[in-house]
Amino acid sequence: MFVLSSWLRPPAALLCVLPALAQTQPPDGDLAERLYRSGERAYATKAYKEALDTWGQLLQTYPRSEFAPVALLRLARHQVEIEHKPDAAMPYLDRLRNDYIKSPEAADGLLLRGVLLKRQARRPAELKDAMAEFNRVIDLFPNDPACAEACLHLGQAWRDQGQWSRALQQFINAFRLHSGSAVAPRAMLEAAETLDLMDDLPGCLRMLQRLRTESPQSPEAQEAVWRMAVRVKQRLQKPPLRNEGPWPSGRTKWLKTPTLLAIAPDGDLLIFQKDLDRAFRLHGGELLQQGPPAPGSLVLLTDSAGAVWMLSKNGLVRENTALPQPLGTLGAISGAALDHWGDLWVADSRTPAITVFTREGESRSLASPTVNALAPLPTGGVVVASDADRKLLFLDAEGQPRIVVPYGKDLPGPFRKVIALASDGVGQVAALVDGADFGQGLVIFGPDGAVLRQATFKTLGINGNITSLALDRSGGVILCDRRNDLLIRLN
Amino acid sequence: MRFRHLLFIPLFCVTLWGQDPGLNDTFLQAKALWATQGDREGATARFDSVVATLAPRAAGLGPEWIQMLCESYNWLAVLDDRSAQNKPRTQVRLQALLDLNPDFELDRALTSQRLLTLYDRMKGEKYALVKLSYSPEGGRLLVDGKPNPPVTRKFLPFGTHKLTYSRPGHATSDVILELAPHDVKSTDFKLTRTASTITLYVQPSDIEILLDGQSLGFATGKAGPEAASLAIPPGLRPEELSGPFVIPQLTPGKHRLELRASCFRSKVLELGAEFATPPADHTLEPIRMDPSKGTLSVSSPWPGGELFLSGQSRGPLPVANLPVCSGPYDLLVRFPVGAFFRRIDVEEGKTLNLEVQPKPRLAFLGLEGGDFTGRARFLAQLESLGDRLQQLTFLPAHAGEPAAEALARLKASRETELVLIARPVPDAVTHRVELIVATLDGEEESLVLKPLEQDPLGSLAARLNDVPPIQQPGLGFSVLDIPGESGPWVLAASEPAVKAGLQVGRPILQVQGKSILSAQELQNLLESSKEPVSIRQADGTTVLPVQTESLEIPLGSKGLCYPAVLAHLRLQYAGAKGDKANLIKLNMALVLMQFRKYDKAIELLRDARLSASSGVSQGTIDYHTGFCFLHLGTTYQTEAMQAFGQALKYPQSTLLGPEGPLVAPLAKQALADLK
Repeated sequence: MFVLSSWLRPPAALLCVLPALAQTQPPDGDLAERLYRSGERAYATKAYKEALDTWGQLLQTYPRSEFAPVALLRLARHQVEIEHKPDAAMPYLDRLRNDYIKSPEAADGLLLRGVLLKRQARRPAELKDAMAEFNRVIDLFPNDPACAEACLHLGQAWRDQGQWSRALQQFINAFRLHSGSAVAPRAMLEAAETLDLMDDLPGCLRMLQRLRTESPQSPEAQEAVWRMAVRVKQRLQKPPLRNEGPWPSGRTKWLKTPTLLAIAPDGDLLIFQKDLDRAFRLHGGELLQQGPPAPGSLVLLTDSAGAVWMLSKNGLVRENTALPQPLGTLGAISGAALDHWGDLWVADSRTPAITVFTREGESRSLASPTVNALAPLPTGGVVVASDADRKLLFLDAEGQPRIVVPYGKDLPGPFRKVIALASDGVGQVAALVDGADFGQGLVIFGPDGAVLRQATFKTLGINGNITSLALDRSGGVILCDRRNDLLIRLN
Repeated sequence: MRFRHLLFIPLFCVTLWGQDPGLNDTFLQAKALWATQGDREGATARFDSVVATLAPRAAGLGPEWIQMLCESYNWLAVLDDRSAQNKPRTQVRLQALLDLNPDFELDRALTSQRLLTLYDRMKGEKYALVKLSYSPEGGRLLVDGKPNPPVTRKFLPFGTHKLTYSRPGHATSDVILELAPHDVKSTDFKLTRTASTITLYVQPSDIEILLDGQSLGFATGKAGPEAASLAIPPGLRPEELSGPFVIPQLTPGKHRLELRASCFRSKVLELGAEFATPPADHTLEPIRMDPSKGTLSVSSPWPGGELFLSGQSRGPLPVANLPVCSGPYDLLVRFPVGAFFRRIDVEEGKTLNLEVQPKPRLAFLGLEGGDFTGRARFLAQLESLGDRLQQLTFLPAHAGEPAAEALARLKASRETELVLIARPVPDAVTHRVELIVATLDGEEESLVLKPLEQDPLGSLAARLNDVPPIQQPGLGFSVLDIPGESGPWVLAASEPAVKAGLQVGRPILQVQGKSILSAQELQNLLESSKEPVSIRQADGTTVLPVQTESLEIPLGSKGLCYPAVLAHLRLQYAGAKGDKANLIKLNMALVLMQFRKYDKAIELLRDARLSASSGVSQGTIDYHTGFCFLHLGTTYQTEAMQAFGQALKYPQSTLLGPEGPLVAPLAKQALADLK
């Protein structure tokens, strides 16, 4: 090994260091950006741990960097979108709100925080914190794209609290002050539905038409098509009900004792066949098995994701659960509905109350007469039929009756009982009725309880055993004839 | 510094030209004083004056002035020779004369033999005589590279000299001469012809000459008397023709000669092969160019316009049947607010009629900051942005003017409505540029883009070209697209439409005899209809007049550039009256609300009055007024409540347009919130 003499060592060392001295140290900002980008690259390759560690290092080392709030937002989103742990996202969002409120990412952070809080809410009063976050976004970041979404969520929160006018204001702001934004079609759809709740049917229809004209390719525009068609047909045109015969395509004897019908969120018809103890989805003319076996089902319904729920005296059977979930002492279930909080309203024909089961399995009772049939309403409440009281009750989200319709009102004659109720998601309610002067038949009510269309089965030429019904998205009614193993469509 | 010196040359020429008559008079007076009156002192003083003026500038003088200076030296030598006192200066005068022009011959009638001998002796001490002959004559002589008149006798200083003689269509001849004292040398230039030449005279002057598509230059100047034989037969005067333009080397074969000038019809002459072979000098008959003009008429319903064609003012509008030379022009009409710009082509014998209206002007203030990759390309794209704008008049940046100065200038002059500034985003390496579009009042929007992307200005151009309408045609009813119906389904109709026979709750089958399948098709058809429209439904046909329906511009749209929208509205407002003006005010207020300038918006809204009570109408204005007051804080709570209360008086007023949501429930809720 060659060794430098001692007097040569200092200059040699200097020569070695010179290149390093000449190469200037990158500023902190550069290093922070490099760390952030490094994490971004790792994230893109789904090396999540490496990405999260890198961003964590960035936050620890360069907390004042402009990339720190970006990293916080990415960490929070990861917890929500990939880990599905919204609670784990909250500390990041809290830090983003507390330490980086002036950063451009704060708007998205506040919005996400509001959305998570909104999802956590179980009742209207619990929306307060979420609404505060949405208001913060609107007040602090009026020009940020997040503002439109904040308006939409705020509107939904007001709607969930039953404040239609305030909800409408926010929905309109979402598309009027942020036209062309991604949430504008959704805001228009919500505004249209809110206008209908506020008894402004023409305004609702105009809004749906606007949605179709301005965003014809959006999923919301497709929603608008049937929502508009159903309203016009049932409430404005109101043509006399006509029997179109077996449906679809004249098919007869093709089912095994159909007893229950429901409409899925995508418009498909769900049929429960008693002999098979299963529910089926009618899609493109084909029957597709849906959910586990559920012998003795008395109620068939779907949640907002389209999953099938079946209720029997054994309890609740859901698509993704193996065993029935007990429903307390309810043994004669006559109807059920899911509200937009995810709570299950269940009526029992032997109990003078409605039992509400929360997502967590807790239950509470709402005072009510004995209910023979039940269907959900877009207001968040339900409509119930009480043969004992001979009344239809339109209940609000708190279970308070808002509209009471005596059996037989505005009909040629009264009926004695309601066999089944169905609603169409835009406020119309169809009742399968029987007995008394009216006899067996069908009555369609508007959201205000007014009779829109009615007919007896005698006049329609129907003589089967009709046990259930559903309102389709073309303004027709599907009847389930268990005796003849077929479906009948009325138009 | 150098440029400043160059400025003096034309200045001197102008000064000398200005003195020309005086100097010439002095020179003539000097000759006359001595010849007729014998006033030697007077004559000497005047010749001295001429010499004092011309001698310092001798290097730059023309031949006439050199001749005058030489003659003055000659006279002064003679006069000094006759004065005992001045006699010593005689030789100095002659030396000066020799230095100026050794070829100058002393006036033998004036000069004594003694002086002639002295002059010859002095000349012989420095110069040798060269005798020259030229074949053919009429060529160009260069002595040591400098042009000289092709004289037959020439005195040159001793030493080596290169003489070059050239003539168009001939090979150039060079001669090297060694001159020693007492030498007398002879040189015969005999040039060999190599090609044909063509000599042109054109009427008028300043015509571009192109041979086979290549420009050879311009036929300029005026022809002299030698062109009289050519000028007179076609009825011209020689001075009406250009100076001769010589095409020096006509290669064998056919050629295409083209003559071009603005305001004249281009002429094309086909030259046959006989012009080139055998080689000869050809002089064409004078070519007379025919004027080529069209007429231009420009008018505008907007007052105060002034027409400029390629930068030259052509007076205030209207301009009717203005004769203009045919060709392309940059047509600009400046209005008190806004301007109209179009690149036009005036065709010969045709009239171009334009009705113009002002567009907002967008002044580009320049690209700030230092160098970055792609800067030159990006700047070029910015400078040509005007070619892509249909709704704005683009004003390019002034070369070398900093953006801040340009902005101050434009703010002072108000010569634009909008400004565009480009500045790189301050990153370690520039990969993004921020473009700011702003009004002179400070409403601005910025857009960050990447200069290296394919079309970085595409989105900006699209946004600047998008001007949302504030009115649309309508028929007084609203329709829905209902599946299964045979046409748009009538949801509601105005009273006049119902009275005219329109049936609510029925589909429309045909409009103007055409089948209509959707609400959008109906609207598209109305856009092109101004006459009453026939509507067919199942039970009959109704004729309805086309009405104008008010709209609000969409807010918060990424497809719009709001400073530009505001500039358009301000321009429209300048020429609007009545409800239209008030509708523009409402929309201007909306844009100001977009910029959070609620106070300014209120100023506009409180003066706006719309006569309509349904659709976008007075209730809409009142609602927005309340909304603005609400944003000004609790101080204006009372005013906000009043405004919302007013809005409730118009239950049919809507937002956005005739089919928009009703104002009343929103105002009612706002009022309830305030209470």
